[in-house]
Amino acid sequence: MRLLIVEDEPLLVAQIDKFLRDRGFVVDMATDGEEGLYFAREHSFDAAVIDIGLPRLDGIALIKTMRDEDITLPALILTARSGWRDKVLGLEAGADDYLTKPFHMEELLARIQALIRRSAGYASPVLECGPIRLDTSRKEVRVRGAPVALTAFEYRMLEYLALHPGQAVSKAELTDHLYAQDQDRDSNVIEVFVGRLRRKLDPGGRLNPIHTVRGQGYRFALDRAS
Amino acid sequence: MAKPRARLGAPSLQSRLLVLTALVLGTCLGAVGWVLDRSFKATVRAAAEQQMRATAHGILGAADERDEALAFAAALAEPRLSQPHSGLYAFVTDTARAVLWRSPSAVATGVSAPPSLLRQPAPGEAVFAKVSASRFALGYTVVWETLGAALTIWVVTDWGPYRGRIVSFRRNIAIGLAGAALFFALVLLTAVRWGLAPVRRMVARIRGLEAGETTTIGTDYPPELAGLAANLNRFIAHERDSRERYRRATDDLAHSLKTPLTVVKNAVRELPGEDARVVRQEVARMEETVARQLARAAVARPALPCAPLPVLPLAARLARALQRAYVDKGVAVEVVGETTPESADSQQNLAVRVDEPDMLDALGNLIENAFKYSRSRVRIRALATAGGVDTVVEDDGDGIPPPLRAAVLRRGGRADTTKAGQGIGLAVVAEITATYGGRLAIASSDLGGAALHLELPGGRTPAAKPSRASGRTPGGPRHAQGGV
Repeated sequence: MRLLIVEDEPLLVAQIDKFLRDRGFVVDMATDGEEGLYFAREHSFDAAVIDIGLPRLDGIALIKTMRDEDITLPALILTARSGWRDKVLGLEAGADDYLTKPFHMEELLARIQALIRRSAGYASPVLECGPIRLDTSRKEVRVRGAPVALTAFEYRMLEYLALHPGQAVSKAELTDHLYAQDQDRDSNVIEVFVGRLRRKLDPGGRLNPIHTVRGQGYRFALDRAS
Repeated sequence: MAKPRARLGAPSLQSRLLVLTALVLGTCLGAVGWVLDRSFKATVRAAAEQQMRATAHGILGAADERDEALAFAAALAEPRLSQPHSGLYAFVTDTARAVLWRSPSAVATGVSAPPSLLRQPAPGEAVFAKVSASRFALGYTVVWETLGAALTIWVVTDWGPYRGRIVSFRRNIAIGLAGAALFFALVLLTAVRWGLAPVRRMVARIRGLEAGETTTIGTDYPPELAGLAANLNRFIAHERDSRERYRRATDDLAHSLKTPLTVVKNAVRELPGEDARVVRQEVARMEETVARQLARAAVARPALPCAPLPVLPLAARLARALQRAYVDKGVAVEVVGETTPESADSQQNLAVRVDEPDMLDALGNLIENAFKYSRSRVRIRALATAGGVDTVVEDDGDGIPPPLRAAVLRRGGRADTTKAGQGIGLAVVAEITATYGGRLAIASSDLGGAALHLELPGGRTPAAKPSRASGRTPGGPRHAQGGV
């Protein structure tokens, strides 16, 4: 999952960055509104965390500009003010949720995950796709009730595909959203991981949860139960 | 509140001026009329006396001494003395009032002798007086040297023609003075209205200010009021500015305290050891204090009355915004009066006299709590009360048991420690309610959960005047302790 964080306090930026990277997110940091807008225009993200009090372009204006340009990525606003004006203006500008400082990183994580899930159309943190059950809060996968042991990377790949059901997801997109920019980006590695994932989820070869779409990439093909 | 008393006890400036000028005008014109009347009457009397003396002298001039007696020419200088019933009569008597001669006009009339009411004048003296309701008489005694006797000449005249002159003069005076009075009254009324127009303008603008239609009382006033208006405008602008500055300052303070708190809080979260535990505990305490004190500091009752703020549109706006954030939960929000046309009339224009950011905070916290604790339904209503509006926010959650309610309302007490922020949220609402002299109460909702009643002073939006002069505000005495 690739996240855009727009926050101007360097210490907090470093903390959020480390915390989210440790949990397998690909994180892009912007320290002012203009930079945040540039990132949002140029890259594809799964969610954005935007502080309201930003230099150059404040958070509310940033979200408004994004929405005006049809950039629909789910956005969470951070506010230090107890006043409701900012929250209401932020939500009205197109933010999807708000979090008041000071917050715990776990709370931030939970909100980000919920936002990503919501934007894929899932109401519950447990994604039920046919016989496959993904518990996004516990990072657990079960097929027909039996737990499946996945590596962190395999899990993230499955989650990404499951959160884009029915869509063809290219190898480049997977690389973008699962690898940080400085990591090795060999698309063959993606193929290897998809192969492993298929074997682990569907040892008998009857479910075929991940289709290969020729020339386009992969598609998670199981209907969701909800 | 001295307002209703002032209305009864002190008459308006305009009526003061009008009553005063009416008194002065009435007295002056009355005195003028009286003096004119007196002097005209005196003039008429003097003229009459003069004329009667002339008549007496004429009679004397016509007298002829013949055989030691007096005889009068048949043709007298005054023709009226010769005509019967002419209204002018003359007699000549001796000092014993024996009639020696009477004018032809006095023959065969009611006037047959000199009037007994008039005293006998001394020789060389003339007396003039009113002798009956309609007659005046003049007596004049002369000593006739050759006869060696005193004779008195009496002239009696009917007062009718003279009274006619006086009456017509009075009528003219009355008409003239009434006209003058009317003219002066109109001029004064115009002057008073014109003169007081700036005051009225100022009053109207202050009313507009109270209703939130204007933000200044303008500067187009005469020199006497210009200073006051300028001071008032300065005060209004200063009040607005300082509120804005104050709010921004608390906002900035919040920002600069809470961001580092976030950093510290997360930095020590995973650290092992006793020291880390102490830091965590103290950070939590700081967080609590900062949140609570900033929430308190942000609320200040404005010095000027707030413009009426309609409750339901604001509630609907908050509900819509919160529905975005709570979209997962699928809460059905009903803002009663916002959508139903039959209740719209009664509820749509219910307004509170509270500054918008404060009302947004109070309602925001209440509605957010309702979203948090509800299962699937939230209802917001606004009810008119004696002095304002009772905004009711209800949910279908577990509610707050009666024994816990008092503790929850004690600014910042917390019924449920598992959901952080609840205590602070209600503390803010309690702070705002107290500042504006309102009331916050917890009841049970027929939806199953809690019903929070936020009662704040206000009224309906149009005209925005409380129907009762006494204007009871809920919890009135708390005004004094408002504005931290």
